[in-house]
Amino acid sequence: MGEGSMTQPPLNRRPSWRLAPPDDARTQGVVVSGFSDLPWAEALFLYAKDSGAAWINALRAAAPITNAAGKEKEARAAALAFTCTGLASVGLPYEVLETFSPQFREGMYQEDRLRRLGDKIDGEWQSTVIRGGPIWSGNVPIEQPATATPSTPVTVHALLLLYDKDQADAQRWAAEVGQTLAPLGVTIVRQLSLDLRLDKRIGREHFGFADGLSQPIPFGPSVVLSDGRPSERDPWHGVPLGEILLGHENAHSEKAPGPFIPTDEKARADLLPEGAPEGFLNLGLNGSYMVARELRQYVASFWQSLRTGAERIRAHDPNAAHVTAEWLAERVIGRNVDGHLLCPSGFPAAQDGLPQNDFGFMRDDRYGHGCPLGSHVRRANPRDGLAKDAASAQTLLDASNNHRILRRGRKFGGPVDDRYRDDQQERGLLFMCLNSDIARQFEFVQQTWILNRNFATLFDETDPLVGPKGPFTVREQPLRRIVEVETFVQSAGGEYFFLPSIPALDYLGRL
Amino acid sequence: MRQTTLSVALEVEPVSVDRLSALIDSVKCQEEDPASGYAEKYGRLQAGVPVLHFMSMSVFPSADYDPVFVIEANFDGPPGVFWGQMEATLGPQLRAMLRCCKKPANRDGPLFVAVTSPDSRYPVAPYFAARSLRPSAFHHGNRGLDRGRILDEGRLFLATRKALAQPDPAAPNPYRLMPAARIHTELRAALKSAFPWLEQPASVRISLAERIGDWLRVAGFLFLVLVGLSIPGMIVAFISPWPRFLVLFGIAAVLIYLGLYRMRAPLAGKGAPTRSGGLTIESLSFQNDLTSLAHPVTLTIGVLLFLGIYGVVASVIATWLGIAVTGYWFDKLWWPSFRVVALGLLSGVFFTLPAIVLWLRWLELRDSSQDAPPLNPELLREMARREDRIAQNHMGSLVLVKPGVLRMALFRAGHLGLGLIVRATATEERHAQNVRLDFIEKAHGGLTLAWGSGIGFPPTRFLVLDGASHGRQFKAWARHSMTVTRFWFSAYKDYTVDQIERHARIADGLRKPTLTPKEAAEWARDL
Repeated sequence: MGEGSMTQPPLNRRPSWRLAPPDDARTQGVVVSGFSDLPWAEALFLYAKDSGAAWINALRAAAPITNAAGKEKEARAAALAFTCTGLASVGLPYEVLETFSPQFREGMYQEDRLRRLGDKIDGEWQSTVIRGGPIWSGNVPIEQPATATPSTPVTVHALLLLYDKDQADAQRWAAEVGQTLAPLGVTIVRQLSLDLRLDKRIGREHFGFADGLSQPIPFGPSVVLSDGRPSERDPWHGVPLGEILLGHENAHSEKAPGPFIPTDEKARADLLPEGAPEGFLNLGLNGSYMVARELRQYVASFWQSLRTGAERIRAHDPNAAHVTAEWLAERVIGRNVDGHLLCPSGFPAAQDGLPQNDFGFMRDDRYGHGCPLGSHVRRANPRDGLAKDAASAQTLLDASNNHRILRRGRKFGGPVDDRYRDDQQERGLLFMCLNSDIARQFEFVQQTWILNRNFATLFDETDPLVGPKGPFTVREQPLRRIVEVETFVQSAGGEYFFLPSIPALDYLGRL
Repeated sequence: MRQTTLSVALEVEPVSVDRLSALIDSVKCQEEDPASGYAEKYGRLQAGVPVLHFMSMSVFPSADYDPVFVIEANFDGPPGVFWGQMEATLGPQLRAMLRCCKKPANRDGPLFVAVTSPDSRYPVAPYFAARSLRPSAFHHGNRGLDRGRILDEGRLFLATRKALAQPDPAAPNPYRLMPAARIHTELRAALKSAFPWLEQPASVRISLAERIGDWLRVAGFLFLVLVGLSIPGMIVAFISPWPRFLVLFGIAAVLIYLGLYRMRAPLAGKGAPTRSGGLTIESLSFQNDLTSLAHPVTLTIGVLLFLGIYGVVASVIATWLGIAVTGYWFDKLWWPSFRVVALGLLSGVFFTLPAIVLWLRWLELRDSSQDAPPLNPELLREMARREDRIAQNHMGSLVLVKPGVLRMALFRAGHLGLGLIVRATATEERHAQNVRLDFIEKAHGGLTLAWGSGIGFPPTRFLVLDGASHGRQFKAWARHSMTVTRFWFSAYKDYTVDQIERHARIADGLRKPTLTPKEAAEWARDL
């Protein structure tokens, strides 16, 4: 429970976090768990044209949505989230939709948002999007549905995640769900088979690197540790629970605002007034916003490009015999393949059987001579690395932690036999993360850190892993190396989803 | 080179607001027109106003007052030169904009008529100069660097990257085999012909006179604050023996501290405590540079030293005033004057200041804040459409200040003090880039001090606590008071404050014929 999405929990790990009753039974299990014991999953993207809400209950009968109270390891698990157009299609009134966050209501493919997320600028899809534009989205906004132009050919109303121990079982389960939904007018418009195959007990993404190592650790009155102790703020990764779950106190000392609905008898049976204005019930309580992006990874292109880059560096510098494709790839990521942070003094000692994750950059690697300033892990979570001096390190660490996201992504596509050979297979990562404030968390990370061309006084470069083709700086002494990296990851679709609480699902099913 | 920051705020005839907005948009279109004859966008303004760093034009609508046309500009040198260049470049457009504005009721009225009358050829520059305001608080990210130098050093930076890059992918790069000091020598030799100014020393960014002037202004401000705080005590000290004085003010101070203690907590549900980023005692750190006032030792010594100097200077002034009034000699008046000043200072620090804080806290507990300011979706969309296109964003905001004598005094004093301190320490501020969302987390204490007197601001505590720490609420409040920036010019749109400082460090190193190995290693880190 509470662990990262892709890395197997070690045997002697420290206690993880979970939700205390009664919130645990009211919250979807995917909030507290990446279901690492269920290595196979199916992601079903659903479209429900004029189907009302009856399909929700039928779906829950076929695939019971897992709550966060499970004390035993689940045999299978499921999670369900809706796009804004999906909620409109099940009959949630416009007045209620208006109470969701603007980012959710506008959708990921709103024109100005596309520019900020680096997907489409001045009408042109960027190189980080697949040729011809993305395949799927929620196709919002809904304000003027009659005149709105669909952003993508495929419209997604809901995302159903089915987790199982076995691949065949997961696929069989998905087929059964499809057969249940088809008569109700709900179609599976896209399906991705996800997995968590472990290599030496490490979950790796397709480029071969350990993933999901660093996650925020929620604390607050509704959080307890797996050994029963109350939660405390982790000095490096602690975030208030409201950063993940709506209706709980967040980093800005307020209950994370979520949607609410007018009080009526039908809703009163399921929802609580806690945190909602007078006369309303809190539809968002114990729910969250889920960001999903289907990212395709080009493994051969990644390794070939870095091999070429390494050869070029060695040709430039007779002293650079140590520079190989692996050496460069580690700098692109910021960790070695097993997840150990690159430090000028060598890898930090392992912690609880896992790569060390309790560190700041200011003390050990201020100038990025180990973990490059522009590397993926440093951009995705700069910790205290943007501080101008040691005295401001804590302020910057706290500021960074106000933008953390809880990742729940899994990879899709088969294993890689030869990483230098393009086998024409489609593979990648279904990036999913949970946050309560899409603008302050996911969008901030993407815009202000990942795609910032001036990040940490770098000039005209973005994230070398998920950004577009361009320069990437590796600091060495006396001179930094600037390597041209290609586009290795492209987006094929994405949307903002609402992950309702269990009571909110009950309510939606009765609309 | 001294930079000037100014604002011009002009009331607009309500019926002409659309016309004014269209005129500003028209200037923007002209500047961005690829057929303008200039190599790049905004080429006319770049060439015509060579002193200009940044300029914005906005029209603020409001339900509380008629629309306001605001021009904000940051430029090198005095305002006269700037407005003269603006007149030569955009004179007809500026005149047309002025015709959409109201005639001012003060002595600038005749000048307005002269400028805006039909077929007028009277220059617009004097009118804009007359209507210009110097903001009481501002921050220059790269103080002392004039526009030409910033652009020159930017070109030098690009040239260094080109020189260090590898032209032949298969051949060894000579720079890779050199120690840092040699890289410096070779690079300097390679770039000298294209950048002959490397042979000349850089101009001083902040002259000694300017720096002394800054500190004198800070000292003068603090001196006046202490005099103001001391007045009640000095009056009583004239008529009261010192033991009675101490007992009287001691009791009053204790009562005030009790009141403060009782009022210290935030209202239920209105607190927003943070671990860092605020203007609190905890902000002081022994890890700070010993030359910084954020170091506890330096701050303590500085405060004690200043209080001592204040006591002596104020006593001398009081003695001379006493001589002028009474005709007694210096030796007869010195000790009585010193006694009055010292007792006044004592009461000012331990009674008057806490009493003002208590008054402020009393007001804060009764303030109303706007939890959900109305946001115009169309305006928000228009703002979003224009933002995040270059490395810098412009954000303009107009707010009403809370009524009351204390609020106005604190607002004025706070902004003046903040402005002076920022100016005095600007060279240490290298982290401040453009205003971003994370600014709330990093500098909410300063934001609360600067904005907390605005109507509807999130609940504050002791002037600097909570307030902007209510991040979402503060953002909504700030967004509510913003409007579309219709025109935004930046002379160096690709550079951030930090990047410009990096350029300056590289250029400073290359200006020196040689560097020591240690200096060279540090210098090469920026290449």
